Amino acid sequence: MSITTTGNLGPLILQSLAPAMLYVPTPTMNYILVCDKVSMPANGGTTCRFMRPRALQPPTVQLGNSGIDPPAQIPQRDIIDAQMAFFGTGCIINEQVILQDQEGVLAWVSERLAVAMRQAEDLILRDYIVSAASQIMAGGGSNGDNPSNLGVTDFSLVATTLDTNNAYKFMSGIEGMDRFGTGPVRSSYFMLSSTELQTDFDGLTGAGFLSQWNYPTNTSCLPSEFGSVFNIRILTSSEAPVARSASANGNDVYYNTILGKQAITHINQDGYSMNLIYRDPYYSGMLAQNATLAVKFAQAQALTQDTAIRNLLCTRLSSIGGP
Amino acid sequence: MAEYSRIATGSVTSNGGQTLVILPFTPNFIEIFNRGRAVAQNGNTTTTFCITKAWWYTDMGQTAAGYTQTTTAGDYTGWIAPTGGTSSSIPTVVSGTGFTTIQAALALQYGPVFNNTSNAFSISKANPAVVTTSTAHNLTTGNWVIFQNLSQSATTGMQQIAGIPFMITVTGATTFTIPWNTNQSNYTAFNTATSTGNVGSFKQILYPVLYAPGVSFISAITTGTTTTVVTTAPHNFVQGQEIAFRIPQAYGTTQLNSLPNLVIPGSPIYGYVTSVTNSTTFVCNINSTGYTAFATNQAFANYPGQTFPQVLAVGDVNTGGYLYNGGMLYPSPSVFNGYVSSTTVGASTINGPAIQGAYYNATFQGFIIGTGISGTSTDVIDYRAILSDINS
Repeated sequence: MSITTTGNLGPLILQSLAPAMLYVPTPTMNYILVCDKVSMPANGGTTCRFMRPRALQPPTVQLGNSGIDPPAQIPQRDIIDAQMAFFGTGCIINEQVILQDQEGVLAWVSERLAVAMRQAEDLILRDYIVSAASQIMAGGGSNGDNPSNLGVTDFSLVATTLDTNNAYKFMSGIEGMDRFGTGPVRSSYFMLSSTELQTDFDGLTGAGFLSQWNYPTNTSCLPSEFGSVFNIRILTSSEAPVARSASANGNDVYYNTILGKQAITHINQDGYSMNLIYRDPYYSGMLAQNATLAVKFAQAQALTQDTAIRNLLCTRLSSIGGP
Repeated sequence: MAEYSRIATGSVTSNGGQTLVILPFTPNFIEIFNRGRAVAQNGNTTTTFCITKAWWYTDMGQTAAGYTQTTTAGDYTGWIAPTGGTSSSIPTVVSGTGFTTIQAALALQYGPVFNNTSNAFSISKANPAVVTTSTAHNLTTGNWVIFQNLSQSATTGMQQIAGIPFMITVTGATTFTIPWNTNQSNYTAFNTATSTGNVGSFKQILYPVLYAPGVSFISAITTGTTTTVVTTAPHNFVQGQEIAFRIPQAYGTTQLNSLPNLVIPGSPIYGYVTSVTNSTTFVCNINSTGYTAFATNQAFANYPGQTFPQVLAVGDVNTGGYLYNGGMLYPSPSVFNGYVSSTTVGASTINGPAIQGAYYNATFQGFIIGTGISGTSTDVIDYRAILSDINS
């Protein structure tokens, strides 16, 4: 008996493309989320200048009955400048790829370029904050390192520091409700943290940490919000800065940025940060073989309220193993 | 010349060690000609280290190089292998000291670790502290390093400085200094070979200044009618820079801190830089007469959770530009980025016109001429760098 099998009569075409593309692992971009946004005008020069008036001395000495005016005060201001910088990347795609490829290469490369641009904006802000904001070493943990792992006193210390500096909180509090397992949430600053610290946050459950799941209502939660400790709501991302093996005892150091409103400002120039550029092969060389797809953007950033931001550095209580 | 390739030529003055060349691309071919060594080679023997030409293809691997040495006995062609590889022996060259391409764009990246296994070292009790490595460190003045695990015993050592970024001053092939006074009662000389667990280490911070000006750590303060501040690594401040201090209680001079303000509660007190002495020293206008002395003699036992004293840029009082001196009216900012050996003249950024004292982006790319091929300080080196369309 002769049976025809795929061994002697295989499919003419062995593969078909699945209907949808697979997702691209992409970190949550928290840094741009908490920035003030300012746009410089076109033809506005290279530098964005901010002005913050200084407080005048409150007149707490009585005038008395002499009829003499007190000395006049001289108003002063602080000036903060930020220089614009330009960024861009792109791909050169041969027309044969566009002609022969089955899955719409221009479409998904455009998408990737757009995401790369957004991620660049976030990474620039991340590294700028690492370089510009002052640091507080966590000391409330128990691992004997410098910085130590996070203890609840570290959250309290930084929130107290920002409160004492008269920083503005981002979020109003959430009142308690009669729902099992929930608790009220204080008005809050944001803390931008690493996903690698989530085990340590979980370890603080009952000692001050309230999981986002245990808020009375989740309506004001951000997608990357993991929970809160006292006056700080924690947003986590896998791209949060980590200095590997950089603590006093050689452990990884995590930069937790705790900030209030207007601490960091993100500046663009006349909407320039929206440019996706496609150039037809017609513009490339004698035989017009190559198309180009590119993105470019302009960005500056400034520490606009240095009193409203601190990097709380910490290590981890214990290793969570490999990636 | 193909359509998308890049080529750059120019000359750079060697700083005697890792010498940075900033380009608008990252090359895959580099060649250099060292004019200074070409003149100096007269009378050299085959064992004299005098490389006049060197080149690199990307397939050679990072830190490698081919080179030519000109001697009285003729020209020799040699090979500097990547780190850990086998290099030529005439002259004796050190693997890993050739070319490195560089794309300085993301923070918190580090070079190879120096420890008791790879390159044992010690730190002396001195001011400034002297670091001595067992074999050549191949670092250059201007590089930044960071230390870990400096416990000589369970209760002694130099853990007080572990985690602080330091700019180094190279004093020899196996020695350099860091700007910190360890010649104080709470510090004990450190040696990886005899320390607890032999786990002490340090490493180079590869891209320490991607954005400037920023936060710096303080190693000394001189109080008076003006205040002189020394930082552990370049501060990148300019005259007119507005600054704020963050000094923990243990370090003494907390009166410099921007808050609290006893006269106008809530309003931060800022100083501004009146003169810049060099990349790590500046003078600010704050009258600190009578303030508590700055103290770095911190107890070893207190290192866990210890915040370091800091000073940071918070604005500027400049109105733009330099006084015209025949040069560019509004030059790009210059930066001490971890690869500048001079302590008074930084590297120009590629930014374009700027107001001095503004926050600016100092990211860069290009290549580094390694210590094995960079000749002697002040040598003029001509270079050609290419990014080709095809590299098979």
